Amino acid sequence: MLWFHLMPYPQLPEDFRERYRSVWVDLDAGLLDPEVVASSYETYLDQLVFAEACGFDGLCVNEHHSNGYGLMPSPNLMASIVANRTSRAAVVVLGNSVALYDPPTRVAEEMSMLDLLSRGRLVSGFPVGTAMDTAYAYGANPGTLRAKYYEGIDLVLQAWTRPEPFAFNGRFTKQRWVNIWPRPMQQPHPPVWIPGGGSVETWDLCAERDFVYAALSYYGHLVGKEAMDGFWEAVERAGRDANPYRAGFLQFVGVADTDAEAYRLYKEPAEYFFQRSLHFYPGFVDPPGYTSEASVRRKLQSSVRAAAMTTQASGGPTWDEMLERGYVIIGSPDTVREKLEHVARTLHVGHLMTLLHFGNMSDELARQNTELFGTKVLPGLKDIWSEHTDHWWPANAR
Amino acid sequence: MPAEPRTLIYLPGLAGDPGSSPALAALEADGWTVARPQLPGFDGESGFRCPDDYLGWLTALWDAVDATGAGPCPVVGASVGGMLAADLAVFRPEAVTRLVLLAPFGIFDPDHAGLDPYAVPTAKRLKPLFERGVPEVFGQRFAAKGEAEAPVARYLTDIAAASLIWPVGDRGLANRLHRITCPRLVLWGSADQIIPVGTAAAWGDHQVIEGGGHLLEWDQPDAVAGAIRPFLDR
Repeated sequence: MLWFHLMPYPQLPEDFRERYRSVWVDLDAGLLDPEVVASSYETYLDQLVFAEACGFDGLCVNEHHSNGYGLMPSPNLMASIVANRTSRAAVVVLGNSVALYDPPTRVAEEMSMLDLLSRGRLVSGFPVGTAMDTAYAYGANPGTLRAKYYEGIDLVLQAWTRPEPFAFNGRFTKQRWVNIWPRPMQQPHPPVWIPGGGSVETWDLCAERDFVYAALSYYGHLVGKEAMDGFWEAVERAGRDANPYRAGFLQFVGVADTDAEAYRLYKEPAEYFFQRSLHFYPGFVDPPGYTSEASVRRKLQSSVRAAAMTTQASGGPTWDEMLERGYVIIGSPDTVREKLEHVARTLHVGHLMTLLHFGNMSDELARQNTELFGTKVLPGLKDIWSEHTDHWWPANAR
Repeated sequence: MPAEPRTLIYLPGLAGDPGSSPALAALEADGWTVARPQLPGFDGESGFRCPDDYLGWLTALWDAVDATGAGPCPVVGASVGGMLAADLAVFRPEAVTRLVLLAPFGIFDPDHAGLDPYAVPTAKRLKPLFERGVPEVFGQRFAAKGEAEAPVARYLTDIAAASLIWPVGDRGLANRLHRITCPRLVLWGSADQIIPVGTAAAWGDHQVIEGGGHLLEWDQPDAVAGAIRPFLDR
């Protein structure tokens, strides 16, 4: 069970949707209060450390740019602190977007450092990156982004594992001498997880390369089911076993003593997330080439995804819609455990990545949520896949 | 006595080439034959693989131009096609006898940044390219492929065009313009939202076409044809 932090900017104004067109790319820097960010960093890092104390197996950070949705342009900075302040949980870095770094060797180096700093507790995630992050905030050509991304992963894996200095002569990166110091503690290399949003190529990449597919949908298990079904079909095509630990799934969760209390407590932070943190301009989501031809065809056919996108574009879902559609799972510990087990079994997912802080949730509520989950939900979910072995977990995370 | 057959090469703009613009049709009516090099991706066909870099695009351009068998001859390039036409004249001067550039990409002036054509919702991306409304022929492009495949084909052509200019459309032409030795005519729409007319000065002598948007040959065909005709006949 993993605890995932998005590290959102928590003070976007109430009328954000009306006054600003996007939380991403061209967000008004005048909204940013450095004191709020500094305090948030301290609070958020403390929450990650607290999650380990509450029994969570992994602590997740990720990478986004030019936005108020997540304040981690460099997840590695956060991960290094988490690594230093924890001793047991896996440090799960669901950045780095390798295609954004030239040469990607830098990613191999920093991930190696993190694996050493955590003494072999690193999960190394390689997302393509959102369109906003890659094509707009970083100016990456969407037409070559995915090819560059694949090549970058190849380079990182070779840099970790080839014992001698070597030359890398790729389409996009040409480096006469590759010979990183330091190398990772985990051998041959840290587990690789690929965060994905439903692209056909990512399913195939994970299945063929034996990487974990970590589905990052904010739109609940119905949309998530389409993505996971596609992944499991790819696993079958690749001739691999259907070990549920090949997959991860992200889920918003709010636990309280009763269902009614949860309904009351989590409404505001969930509305903040879906109505402000996810308020982005449609002109920044679909740069030509970001979505592959195969994925374009599939998305054009997906009515569930289309419904979710339409709702998001027209003001965001209401609180009741979020609950009905499973975007957010809330309730008493028993209710949440039952629903999450259903999600895990329905999607056949071994790694549940829970978002127990979201939107503008207070530190007090985030800790209460985390503690209740850790003590009353997590124990009931720990063993649901006990007949399977997790081959994609860091060597020294316990 | 019939006129000598005359051929020009045409390289289209961001929205692709759905058929001759009225300006181009006017030149055809004058007796010009228009050769259209087939650049990768612009046909909307499945399986497009984006060239690795700009040199890859130029190589594809040279191959496509040679395949027409049209050169040496005048070259007319619009928008992204204008950028390619300019570089054709830079690197293959023997292939270009006269150069017509219609609001070419290739030089980016941050003081005249204009509208990012791809920071617009997908369904609305054609509109800012024109000042006088989107010609119907663009909406109908790929209709023959059917309801399911037409949007995919449009998306694929967008990939090709966007790849040529991502992220800001500067390909260093300012450093190479002095290599163009053939006569050139630069036309710019006064109402160009994508590359505002303030950028035109970077290309040297130019004419401003009043009421023209970025794809000015569609917005102001008479004025554009009227400017090109004497230049080609000179």
